[in-house]
Amino acid sequence: MAVENKPDERFVRGPVKTYGLMELVRGRSPMVEKGPDDTVFSFPIVAILEALLALGTILVLGFFSLVRNAPLEELANPDLTTNPAKAPWYFMALQELLLHMHPVLAGIIVPGVVVLFLIILPYIDTDRSDAGRWFATPRGPKWVYFTALYTVIAQAGLIYFDEVMGLRGLGAASPLLLQFVGPIMFGVILFALPLLVVWRFKPTRRELMLVIFTIIIVSAITLTIAGFLFRGPGMHLYPPWGMPDGYNPWSSL
Amino acid sequence: MANLIDSITSSRVWKSFFRHGWPDDELNRSLVMTTNIFFHLHPVKVSRRSIRATYTWGLGVLAAILFVVLAVTGTLIMFYYVPSTELAYHNIIDLQTKVPYGQLMRNMHRWAAHGMVLIVVLHMARVFYTGAYKPPREFNWIVGVVLLLLTLGASFTGYLLPWDQLSYWAITVGTNIAGYTPLIGPKIRLMLLGGFEVGQNALTRFYALHIMVIPLLMTLLISLHLWRVRKDGGLAAQNIPERPDSRLEFQ
Ligand code: HEM
Repeated sequence: MAVENKPDERFVRGPVKTYGLMELVRGRSPMVEKGPDDTVFSFPIVAILEALLALGTILVLGFFSLVRNAPLEELANPDLTTNPAKAPWYFMALQELLLHMHPVLAGIIVPGVVVLFLIILPYIDTDRSDAGRWFATPRGPKWVYFTALYTVIAQAGLIYFDEVMGLRGLGAASPLLLQFVGPIMFGVILFALPLLVVWRFKPTRRELMLVIFTIIIVSAITLTIAGFLFRGPGMHLYPPWGMPDGYNPWSSL
Repeated sequence: MANLIDSITSSRVWKSFFRHGWPDDELNRSLVMTTNIFFHLHPVKVSRRSIRATYTWGLGVLAAILFVVLAVTGTLIMFYYVPSTELAYHNIIDLQTKVPYGQLMRNMHRWAAHGMVLIVVLHMARVFYTGAYKPPREFNWIVGVVLLLLTLGASFTGYLLPWDQLSYWAITVGTNIAGYTPLIGPKIRLMLLGGFEVGQNALTRFYALHIMVIPLLMTLLISLHLWRVRKDGGLAAQNIPERPDSRLEFQ
């Protein structure tokens, strides 16, 4: 009975005064240091801009639809597998990953980690002083550029390596090594290399995120293009202009 | 003529529709925005920086426009489409060959769908590279991530509907990927397809998801998304001073 709850006493009885000074915090009044008012009336400027965007979209879309028909193949036939059988282009990155590693890794773990990264990103990088500025810092654009370049080359190299030789070609035989350990190792190296390089320049958190996000999105784009444009019959690599059996990767859009 | 216009615009009927005068002064330009359900998504005034083409590239607005185009063309296609494995494919052929502008409608729906996936991804990249996900916009970023997944879902479920070889095998391959999840994977696949293979049940479910469930969710979430943009104080761009050296700190 040491601490007794007396609910009645937790609130002020009879609201004589419902506010009080609780604490002093550092802050600014709303307009201090906000600079001169640099605003325009939404009407008509924003309204016109949006109307123009809508008109332009419909025009471009309408024109494109006049010159290019949506594809329609034969009636669906469960007994006749198409070769290659591809997912829609926006899932080709996943299907491409599936060619290189265990399905659980490619179909669940990797996309799961990417989505998780996207969700926790704003809670990792919370410094709002540079929100709204493209590429964060003066050196940001250069970092993004080189990371993107590196990722395209590394991903394309890995895809090609796996097609012509792979770890199997190097003598590896155990499925665990081929399907899990190997791909994870390559993945870790893919991210670690650029991060090690930028670490020397004392990156801010935002700059670190810049590098990580760029590796992810450029990897996704490279895998998508490889899967969509460069995979032909048997899901083997071919140049898009030299597909066997008259297969045209664009026909599946 | 001027008299006629005058008497129309000063009539009680007109005034009950448009609750502001001719928008050539500041009061009326403000009223246009606050008295119109579509415009009230915007504040009366916006910062000059945030409407710069090179800040947003118009990508968020483009995504919203494509969503509307898809809703309109999709509704028109629905008038001619029955989600049955017997009829669907022939409905599409009829749509293309017998219905006036049917082919155009289908083309626009198809290309807008691909375009929307692309634009939404680009919009996400824009938001990321401008650092607009930071507080107080964390929640809106997450709403965006869900919108991205829904956009993919809408596109994927629509892909099956023409019921040709392309849709059939793409959805077979796509749902196989879902089936790889340990333990629950096969169950998820079974739930999506309503069976072990892509068939009538899958078509029925994909159709319901495509025309009802996903568009409804997206309408809700896009509304939430745009409302949050305003609640978070408009676009992040406006907090940034012109020159980095005159950098100010904002709370
Ligand atoms: C159906 C999809 C989407 C629609 C229709 C949409 C629409 C919009 C619009 C109209 C804006 C205003 C600024 C602009 O035009 O860029 C905006 C801002 C924003 N969007 Fe989206 N969006 C979508 C998807 C996404 C995604 C996938 C993300 C991120 C993962 C996202 C995150 C944000 C954030 C954080 C803002 C505030 C940006 C700032 O303050 O600069 N949105 N969105």
